[in-house]
Amino acid sequence: MIELEHVTKRYGQVTALRDVSLRVGERECVGLLGRNGAGKTTALNLMTGYFPPDEGQVRIGGLSMLEHARECKRKIGYLPEKPPLYDEMTVESYLRFVCELREVARAGIPAHVSEILALCGLEEVRGRVLGHLSKGYRQRAGIAQALCGSPDVLILDEPTVGLDPKQTVEIRELIRALAGEHTVIFSSHILSEVQQLCSRVIILNEGRMVRDFDRRMPENGLCRIRVKIAGKEETVIAALKRMDPEIAVEQLPAEESGIVGARLCVSGDAAEAVPRVFRMLAASSLPVMMMAEERESLEDVFLRETQ
Amino acid sequence: MRAIFKREMQGYFYTPVGYVFLGVFLTVSSVLFYLSIMSQRSGDLPAFIGQMSYLWMLLSPVLTMRLLAEERQKKTDQLLMTSPVSLPGIVLGKYLAAVAVLMAAAVLTLLYVLIVGIYGRIYPAELAVNYLGFILQGCAFVALDLFLSGCAATPVTAAVLAFGANFLLWILDLLETAVRVNWISEVLRFMSLYSRNESFLMGQLSIAGIIYDLSFIAVFLALTVFRLDRKRIGR
Repeated sequence: MIELEHVTKRYGQVTALRDVSLRVGERECVGLLGRNGAGKTTALNLMTGYFPPDEGQVRIGGLSMLEHARECKRKIGYLPEKPPLYDEMTVESYLRFVCELREVARAGIPAHVSEILALCGLEEVRGRVLGHLSKGYRQRAGIAQALCGSPDVLILDEPTVGLDPKQTVEIRELIRALAGEHTVIFSSHILSEVQQLCSRVIILNEGRMVRDFDRRMPENGLCRIRVKIAGKEETVIAALKRMDPEIAVEQLPAEESGIVGARLCVSGDAAEAVPRVFRMLAASSLPVMMMAEERESLEDVFLRETQ
Repeated sequence: MRAIFKREMQGYFYTPVGYVFLGVFLTVSSVLFYLSIMSQRSGDLPAFIGQMSYLWMLLSPVLTMRLLAEERQKKTDQLLMTSPVSLPGIVLGKYLAAVAVLMAAAVLTLLYVLIVGIYGRIYPAELAVNYLGFILQGCAFVALDLFLSGCAATPVTAAVLAFGANFLLWILDLLETAVRVNWISEVLRFMSLYSRNESFLMGQLSIAGIIYDLSFIAVFLALTVFRLDRKRIGR
């Protein structure tokens, strides 16, 4: 749906984005992570056609943003970091304006606006002036404008920044609801938010893409399994190493006497590797006290990649 | 373009801007009407229209200051630039909205014409030419000031820049008479919006004047599009 091909963007002497390539498929929900100034907003602005790249190509649905800007922009709804609201307009008249801007057929505008108002929980404030709304409602109005024209792709730049905890949860729920129907790309530096909403995470650091991974997939094709086995330390570790020479065994510090902790690195994904290892442990007569797939936390990955 | 035009019209009248513009324009023009027509018992409408044309210079920045500078300041330009609307469409929509308010002001001045018509004699053809020049001059100022709004970072700087530029155009007239070098004087005369308006005020339908005003408008609208595009690219 969205492709960035070797994209570079400079602001004068500063290179904000350096040779970034990525591809986001239909109905994917992708979190863009990075520290302040990592290039997240620049990447999103390039995807929306707010400005063109200095080098490289941006494609939306296979069409070049440079050559088919109008068609590409029609497919995208964008919530910038600061919602682009006209304070003097009412919520409803603002959404009508955005619908006209996004070339929604005139006859269909009232129904479309009512649908969006209901989806975003804005019905009770539809007649209120945008300048008088609370930050939470303003953010909702920002998301509502991104939905005008039913775009295939939603691009949200830090959608929950500055909101109170209740508003944050509400906006997250809204994004979760939208993610099923649209391709959603959103930037954030709240790791737990990305963890909750996205399966795929892209980490940017100093304008470079340093990591692009699907959190459901095993990293480097490896599955890490943490086990606790009853027995003597030397016997258990030796038995584990004998089990399969391809399984890497790492002993972990002992937490209880008579229980040995170890981490096993097995090739393959968790669904296949965990039962296989379990059967091997059973065949070796090792009494399993605990067994769990171990995932590296997003925080660990983020801190490592953005050092 | 239509959506932009509609929104800008709402912007003028959902905020005090449109009312302030029309209110100040009508107040000052009515004082001018009293001074030059009623107190003098004169029916010299062209002279009065000539005086009113100076109001464009003063008030056009009020109409244009927000149009592009405020979009950038409040970052609402991100909505326009990421929507399927072309840059010329955005600029033209905004320009036509400002012109519509200006036209409303011009139409309201017909009340003065009506008063003169009741107590004296008017010459419709001459008056039509006077008004054509008057409106074209206003439209030219709006185009120039819209371009300056596209260059400025805030509405206040846009207004200051626009007022300065309008004032400079007026000074060109004074400079033209003061400069003794013939060709410079000719160039200044060619560029002056006020000198161009003289033939309209004399009731002469000047094709050169119309072409000059329309070209002036087209050049500044094109420059505005160019300026926005350069800003978008980041240069």
